[in-house]
Formats: sequence, C-alpha cells, structure tokens
Amino acid sequence: MTIENSEIPPLDVRNLTLQHHGASGTTTIVRDVSFVLGRGEVLGIIGESGAGKSTIGNAVIGLLGAGFEQSSGTVRVNGTAIETLTASKRHALRGRTIASIFQDHTSSLDPLMTVGAQLSETISTIFPDLPGTGVRQRALELLQRVGIPDPNGRYHSYPHQLSGGQRQRVVIAIALAGSPSIIVADEPTSALDATVQKQILRVLRGLVEETGLSLLLITHDMSVIAEIADSVLVMKDGEVIEHNATAALLDNPQNAYTRSLLSAVPRLRLSHEAPAIGQGGPDEEAAQCDEASEADGPVLVVENLSKTFGNHGLQALFGIGSATFALRNVSLQLRRGGVLGIVGESGSGKSTIGRILAGLETGSADKVVMNGRVCDVGSRGRSGGLLGRIQMVFQDPASSLNPRLTVAETLMECVRFTARTEHDRHPSRVTETVERLGLSKVLLTRYPHQLSGGQKQRVCIARALLAGPEIMIADEPTSALDVSVQAEILALLKQAVSERNLSMIFISHDLAVVQDICDAVCVMKDGRIEDYGASDFIFGRSDNPYTRHLINARPKIFTL
Amino acid sequence: MALLTTITGRLSQAFLLLLVMSLIGFIGIHSVGNPVYNVVNIETATPEDIRRATELLGLDQPLWRQYVVFVQNLATGSFGTSYIYHLPAFDLVLSKLPATLELAVGAIVIATIAGTGLGLLAVTRPGTLIDRIVVTATVFALSVPSFWLSMMLILAGAVMTGWFPPGGRGSTVEVLGGDWSFLTADGLKHLVLPTLALAIPNVALIARLARAGTVEVKKTDFVRFCIAKGLSGRRILFRHALPNISLPIITIVGLQFGGMLAFAVVVETIFAWPGVGKLLIDSIQLLDRPVVMATLTFISIAFVALNALVDLLYAVLDPRVRISA
Repeated sequence: MTIENSEIPPLDVRNLTLQHHGASGTTTIVRDVSFVLGRGEVLGIIGESGAGKSTIGNAVIGLLGAGFEQSSGTVRVNGTAIETLTASKRHALRGRTIASIFQDHTSSLDPLMTVGAQLSETISTIFPDLPGTGVRQRALELLQRVGIPDPNGRYHSYPHQLSGGQRQRVVIAIALAGSPSIIVADEPTSALDATVQKQILRVLRGLVEETGLSLLLITHDMSVIAEIADSVLVMKDGEVIEHNATAALLDNPQNAYTRSLLSAVPRLRLSHEAPAIGQGGPDEEAAQCDEASEADGPVLVVENLSKTFGNHGLQALFGIGSATFALRNVSLQLRRGGVLGIVGESGSGKSTIGRILAGLETGSADKVVMNGRVCDVGSRGRSGGLLGRIQMVFQDPASSLNPRLTVAETLMECVRFTARTEHDRHPSRVTETVERLGLSKVLLTRYPHQLSGGQKQRVCIARALLAGPEIMIADEPTSALDVSVQAEILALLKQAVSERNLSMIFISHDLAVVQDICDAVCVMKDGRIEDYGASDFIFGRSDNPYTRHLINARPKIFTL
Repeated sequence: MALLTTITGRLSQAFLLLLVMSLIGFIGIHSVGNPVYNVVNIETATPEDIRRATELLGLDQPLWRQYVVFVQNLATGSFGTSYIYHLPAFDLVLSKLPATLELAVGAIVIATIAGTGLGLLAVTRPGTLIDRIVVTATVFALSVPSFWLSMMLILAGAVMTGWFPPGGRGSTVEVLGGDWSFLTADGLKHLVLPTLALAIPNVALIARLARAGTVEVKKTDFVRFCIAKGLSGRRILFRHALPNISLPIITIVGLQFGGMLAFAVVVETIFAWPGVGKLLIDSIQLLDRPVVMATLTFISIAFVALNALVDLLYAVLDPRVRISA
C-alpha cells in the first residue's frame, strides 16, 4: 500500500497532455499531468467541473470522445505504453486489465436486459471457454461479493427494479468480472445518498484491500476522498495543483486553491451547545420555537398531508390492492421569515412535500393554510390569491430554464404573469434583482447554455424572487453545483430571506448545508416525519436513531 | 387485474372509434351525392324507375333512420349489399384482402429488414461514403411522389428490361378461400414491382430512424460502459443498441403497415392491383355506401388491432412498460 514499490506500477501516467479540437479552436483540457498508481492503492483525483479530471479517466480507459487527442505524454499500464498499442490490443485491455465504473447508475446499465444477463455477457466475453453454468456461478459469486442480497433472485431483475445503491453494486460487479488490475471510477457515488455512498465506498475499499486492485477515483467530493483515498491529486483548469497523501493534504493543504476547496465544504457542527428552549419532545419544541420568535403566527401550516401512489381507477374504487404512501400524515409549520429544512434520503418523500405545496402534484391534507389563506392541495394550480406567492428553485438549473429564451425573456415572462401592480411590471425590477444576485446586466441577453452552473442557478433564484413570493421552496438548489459555488448560492438565499421577509422551505440531503441555512429541521423517512425540531435540537441533542444514523454517515473529518 | 382494465379500456376505445368513424363515413357519403343515379341506367330510366330504386335502397328515409337501419343490420352481421356489384359488402372487402395483404406484408418485411440493415450499415461507418449515400438516398426516396416512383419502377423493371410484368396479379392459387399470387411463380413476378414501390419509401423512413436512434443510443452511458467492459462492437450493436432502437421502429412499422392496408391506392391503381385501397376509392366514386362502410370498418379494426399488437410488442421488449401497463 505504499508508493515505494520496486515492481512495475499498474498505472504510470507521465506528462500527459490532452487537447480538444473543436469548432472554436484547440483547447488544452489536461496539461502535463503525471502520477503513479501503485498496486492496492486508491488515488483520488479531485477538482471542480471543468478541471479535466474525467478526461484523464477517459484517456486511461481509452474512451476519449471525438475531437480529443493525447498530444503528449505516456500512459503505461503494467509497464506497457497504451498509445503504442493497436486498437484491438487496447480493446483487449478493457474489462480484463482496466475496468471502469461510471457515475450514473441509472444509465450505466442497458434498461432492456436483466442485470444477470449483463453480468454474464461480460464474463463470457472475457472467459470464452467458461461453460454456461460456470458463467452463472461466477456471476452469482460476484453479486454476492459486492453485497447484493439474494443474488439468485436479483439475477433476473431488470435495472429499474433495483435501488440506486444496488444498481451501482451491479456496475461494480461487472467491472470486477474480468479480475482487472485497475478500476477507473468516475464519480462512483455522486448520485447516491450519503448512507448508500458510505456502503459503496466500503465495498470498493474492501476490494482494494483483499484483491490488491488499484483504484483511480475521480470525484468532486472531498468527503469521498477523505473516506477512501490513499493519496490525492488536486486539479484545477487541467493542471495538477497539489499531490499528496490524503491525511497530509487534509491536515495541511499547501496550495491556496486546495485550502479554499477544503474550506468550502460545508461542515456539520456537532459539539454544539444548543440553547435550552423547552424540555418537551421535538414537536412541542418546534412549536415553542415558532411562538418565541414571531408573534403573528406561522406563514404556512400543514396538517396531516398524505399522498398515495399506484392505487387508482377501479382498484381504489373497490379498495383492492395496497396503496403505497409517498407521504403519510405529515404536519409541519413554517415560521414567518424562517427557513425550514427538510432532510431525508432519496425516496423519503421530501421533494414530494415541496411539489405538492407548489401545486405541481396533488395530495390530501386535513388543513393547509398559507398566510391565512386556505390552500387546496387536492388540485393542481393555485388560484388568484396564492398565485405566485409560492415559488420554487429546482436542483438542476440547466433543465429548469428554457434553452430557447434569453435570461431577460425568461425573467420578463415571470414578471408579466405574476405582476400585481404597475410598479411590479417595470423592467427595471429585472435589472435590479439580477444585480442584487451578483449577476452582470450583460448576461441578460445571453442564453442559458452560455452561462455557468452557478449563474444559471442565480437566474432561477431571480425568477423565483421576481414573482414576489411569500414562501420559497428550494429543492436541492446546490446539489448540482461545485462546492465553491454552493457556498455563494447559500449566502444569496440567506440574504434573500432576510431582505425580503421571505420564508423558505429548504429541501436537501446534505445535513451540513441544512444546518448552515435552516432554523428548523424536519427529518423524513419513508414518507413520514421521523424527527422534527429546531436546528440546534436536531443536530445537537436529538436522540432519534435515524437522525443519528444520517449524521454518522458523514465523514468525521467534515464535522466540527 | 391490470391486464383486464387495459383490455376493457382498449375495447371501449375501439368501439367509440368505430361509432365516430361510421357517423362521419355515413354523413360524408350522403353529402357527396345520390347513389341512385349510379344504380339505375341514367339514359333509359323513367322517373318511376328512379323512385322505385330509391325506395328499394331505403334512400327515401331520413338520414338518421337510414343510419339506424345500418346499425340494426350491422348487429346481425351484415353491412348490406353492394349497390353496384350486388354482392354482400363485407364479402367484397374480404375478397380483396389477400391481394392487399400479400402486397403490404411483403413491403413491410422488406422495409423493416432493409431499412434497419441500411441504417445500421450507415451508422457503423459514420462520415464514410456509404453513410453519406444512405443519408442522401433516403431523403430522395422519401421525397419522390409515390406515382412517380411507381412509374419509374415500371419503366426500369418492365418496359426497358422486360424482367417483370408492368401490372396485374398474374396467376393465383386459392387457399383458405382467397386468391393468392405469391404462391405461383408468375404471381410472384407480378408482386415484385408493386411491393418495391410500397417498400422503398418505408425502407428510407426506417433506415433514417435506425440510424438516428443508434446515434443517440451510442451516446448513452450504458454503451460506453459496454465498451469499457470489453464487449465487441458487433455485440454492442446487435445485443444492446438494436433492442433499444427497435421500440420507435416498431411504432412506425405498425402505423405504416396499417396505412398500406388501407391507403396504398396510388400503387394499387398504377399496377392494376385489385386491393382494398382501390376498392375504397372506387366505391366512394360510385357512392356505393355499403362497401365504403364495410371497408372503413375493416380499416378501423385493423388499425386498432395493429396498435394493440404494437403495445404488446413494447411490453415484450421493454420491461419498464410491463410494470406500468
């Protein structure tokens, strides 16, 4: 597990420079990168989007896309420079010597083929002499190895029938099929919940330790690095900024960029002395918290909100079949000017709450009152008094902006449809709002694809604010962004809440972010509220086992 | 349970479709003209003859009553008798069915196989001459009018070379109560040109669909993952890409096949091929209402059945559909 190995390292990259020849000329994506990946070692490559880290991974697998070129440097796999190999010899390396794991477990597998068949075809391609029963046996062994429960049953499942974590386990099993010496994993856990991420990383770490394979781990997430990597390569704009052993890099980053990257990671404060407000259960405490801070009552009251899936038509009529509850008796309150965090893993129903309140989905509730007005959650759309009063900011800014409209057109459209007074309709409001959010006026004439991720999310926030909302629902607004941008967007949201007398529901899977911005927190699990209370209580003193479980899923290094 | 709901839903949709179609067809034919002048000999008929014929055909009744009578007859399984041929209308449609079926089945089989093949051939050689030829030729094949294509085929295949007859069905064999051309050598020869005329635009359509679909599928992560796990290009193409592009292809094949059963009129007319499409157009011109209604009903049922078949194939091919359906 040390770099000082006398044998030939599985992967040796020297002075690698990669260029892209596009319509707008040649750009250097990766410049003069060198590293050695030893046997049984995990090397992490970390950087923000556009740093060129994925391109390195693609170069190692030999899957550089059209227009990319390795303009200098060598990539040696077990001592052989792969640039010198013929296409067929390079192909022979894939799956056998170098395997890979991609980020998106939903699209890494063929949707029309059972996972068993996809695993078996890989095995029989690599071991053509193995008889059918042998292939199947090995497939089952691999599924077992990566921790799939009931491999025999799961063998015949289609990808969509598995959970995200299980799909990624299958992808790992396929990568292992040819007993490779190197695995290139590009963001292997980014699409997964924190607890599942931890399990998958544990599987990978176990494989490295038991089989001695080498793992090249590409990620944007410092906590993944902290969890599993032996050494780290920090990249920025295609260059290596810092290369060090993980512990040393985390303790004592040498480079300013590394330091900013590290400090941008939101940290969870645990050793926090929570101010003692009330001694009752979490719900009473939340209520007390509301009363204490504001006299004129909550801006939003939700009582017993429920939603069922998969039970409609004749079945519902006759009461046959079992309904699946997406939400079950969810009751919560949002304090005026407060920020309520809703946390939970995927499938916990946290996004469904936001979507129902915004009128994007229907549900049923005993009572939903927004600022004194009763709101019918049984119907989509919001009538007169509520229209525009509740606004959403979504996770993926790229897909929540119309690509054919300029920024100004998008914002003006919102102004036209939600303006209540003549003053609201004035175009200067757009410019003011945009500049308040730190966007230059110049960007108003641009189209979404000409903006960065952070700029796009600012436009989405501007759009929400221009409608003059009383309640803003932000559904994972920073999850698709780089950590440095994430901090800026959070600051903007905080500022908007305090300046505009807004109240916000902030939906996130990231506890640290929630702690940073929210004053009350609601922990969701399987459509129910598991834990609910003031932020200090939840993170400081809650003894709910599920809350503790979520908190413990975070790497220790990023808790304070 | 879910299956039963689906089938009930389908049948009620089909019933509604037939109802609407029959109303439109009925009113449409009525407003075109009075069929009685096609039934009697216009030169010798006295006003008394015309009155008698009108009464005999029930055309003196108000339209709604004629429709009620039509529906009543339908309930006993009869579309009435053709005004012109004096044969039961539905039997007439069925007698034309073998000609149409052999033409349409032949054309769709050729189109599916050749189209998918050409599309895959082009997509595996991006940017090469073959790719460009396929892309250009398919645009051309889709743009030329059907009658021009048919005439060019007659010119090249019959007039200039004399390889194939320019029209007609040739000799037929009676099997299962229908006359089939494809079972005799002479009949097969007669089939070639009209089948090609119907197939060529569809070859182009499917080739473009297959090519575009594969280009999309090739960009997906699972294809990249297949490459990374060491599968051969051939296996990825046939085992992974092909099933994934087959869904849109099946939809198009279903729709086009239905269209060929009903509306291959131009090709059928040019090649003097006595099919269902030609029967429909002739009957509309002669205001032969029973035959028009029988043909339209047959076409509607064929479309409903084809759509159901396409949905069934979807469920067979795509496990994700099986759950939600």
